[in-house]
Amino acid sequence: MHNLSVIQPGLQTTIQDLGRVSHQIDGFPVSGSMDQASHRLANLLVGNRGQTACLEFALTGPTLVFRVATFIAITGGQFSPTLNGKPIPENEAIRIHENDELAIGSANAGRYGYLAIKGGIQVPEVMASRSTTLRIGIGGFNGRALQAGDQLPISPQETLQSFGHRRVNQAFLESFRDPQAMLQNPLVIRILKGPQWSLFSKSDQRLLQHQQYQLTSEADRMGYRLAGKPLTTNLKSLLSEATVFGGIQITSNGQPIVLLADRQTTGGYPVIATILTADIGKIVQCQNHQLIQFQLTNLKTAEDELQKQTELLQRLKAEFIEQRYQAPIGINRSAAQRIRGLFEGGFSKG
Amino acid sequence: MKPYQLTTVGDQAISIEFPNEINPEINLRLQALAKIITADKVVGVQAVIPAYHTLLVTFDAMRTTPRKLKQQLDSIIADQLAAPLPPKRTLIIPVCYEDPYGPDLSDVADYAGISTDEVIKRHTGKSYLIYFLGFLPGFAYMASVDDQIAMPRLSKPRVKIPAGSVGIAGIQTGFYPVTSPGGWRLIGKTPLTLYQPDNPEPFYHAGDEIKFEAIDKETFDVIKQADELGHYHVKVVTENA
Repeated sequence: MHNLSVIQPGLQTTIQDLGRVSHQIDGFPVSGSMDQASHRLANLLVGNRGQTACLEFALTGPTLVFRVATFIAITGGQFSPTLNGKPIPENEAIRIHENDELAIGSANAGRYGYLAIKGGIQVPEVMASRSTTLRIGIGGFNGRALQAGDQLPISPQETLQSFGHRRVNQAFLESFRDPQAMLQNPLVIRILKGPQWSLFSKSDQRLLQHQQYQLTSEADRMGYRLAGKPLTTNLKSLLSEATVFGGIQITSNGQPIVLLADRQTTGGYPVIATILTADIGKIVQCQNHQLIQFQLTNLKTAEDELQKQTELLQRLKAEFIEQRYQAPIGINRSAAQRIRGLFEGGFSKG
Repeated sequence: MKPYQLTTVGDQAISIEFPNEINPEINLRLQALAKIITADKVVGVQAVIPAYHTLLVTFDAMRTTPRKLKQQLDSIIADQLAAPLPPKRTLIIPVCYEDPYGPDLSDVADYAGISTDEVIKRHTGKSYLIYFLGFLPGFAYMASVDDQIAMPRLSKPRVKIPAGSVGIAGIQTGFYPVTSPGGWRLIGKTPLTLYQPDNPEPFYHAGDEIKFEAIDKETFDVIKQADELGHYHVKVVTENA
């Protein structure tokens, strides 16, 4: 059942879910989507569970041909997706017919995009996850990024409840994650004091908060290296400790590295601060040379912001369920809708 | 006073921190705690990640709060500290120390001022605790080797170290699960396949002890063949701590 053909793979397209969380104890990087909020939104739009495996693409997305009918949604950075040559919107469910060609295009803003396909991508799980860890070649599709000619297993999907309602408006996006934020320069990223915060001098603590950092080109799924005026506190090497998603390590040259999805499970550099989970997607979506300003906040704010994001998704899900039997498309009208789709071609909405 | 601290790391993790040292007793406590926290299925806990003296507990902030989790951890740790350590599991790993498997063996012998046979005797003479796994999947941080053979790393790391190589880096010892660059002093090689991409979960875990057993080249080949066919079973010794 190989039902999704890769025509062009894009720059780095991998299968990701929310990560191989429980095997860090054996030294396996978590991996999973870099921008987990966008990953969850994409899945929600096509009625999947939040952790369902999606395609993640970076800067230049893939071109794919679907060999079966299904539903998709694209979220994350602003790409320029087309279906059979016609532009399609992001952040809403799109109906796919057999042999439709989807071209994701390049990112106009942001860095990572997510393609959710109803029912998910059915590659086998490796240690309870479908996430790809490129560095060690496990998970996803044969442990590697997609290549032209790859055939991915997906299942045919004829119906999607509340299909015509499965979109989010600008107001939702602004409260979920302000898309204008991608244009902010410097972009404000909120942080908490890290486990080694107090080992740094007062002037280093101030410098971290008050200077503008620039994202360097050394940025990948393991971490983003930032450049600024170096911190001066010279710490003796520490005993290795476990790392967290969004931890900010200060390396021996005084510059920060933000630890991301493919980070090593343990590290010996001091962690001066950690990025709010609610803000990780924001920094992940930065393109090279973006200016970044850290803003110190407290745990209460971090918890509130995360809860706000989660509640927005929960409310959206509840709305989709409520709209199940409302016009324009109820569950019983899927056949009628399919017939209409045949007349209208690939890009039909209710 | 409690011998540990609970520190919030970011908004979705709590670190259990014991005194800042490499101490097998502290680490075994952490490993026992890691098992209990996993087995208890504490609400909201996602993963536990041990290191030398810390155990990171990550949680889903939508299902629990740092305050609630800290209370639960305090009570779990209090119970655990009062209990004896769980039984020790020691895995016997065959190692061939002969040429060409131990390119640095004679350097270590020179460094220690003893014969290569004596280095092998010291290296196989005790078991080593796996403090944690990191760096690469299945890469075990083990200690502590006999002080006399605790030779520091190479000043210039090798570009390519074959999988299965066994080495020394200061008081640490260990094996390379996959071919990788590295600066450890290589004194031997195990015929066992330590990492299989199609079955990546290692057969050893943090908290296990490893004891090396010297074998000759012929035995190396025999074990290697058996292991590749899936017929070799690593010897495991379990005893009370």
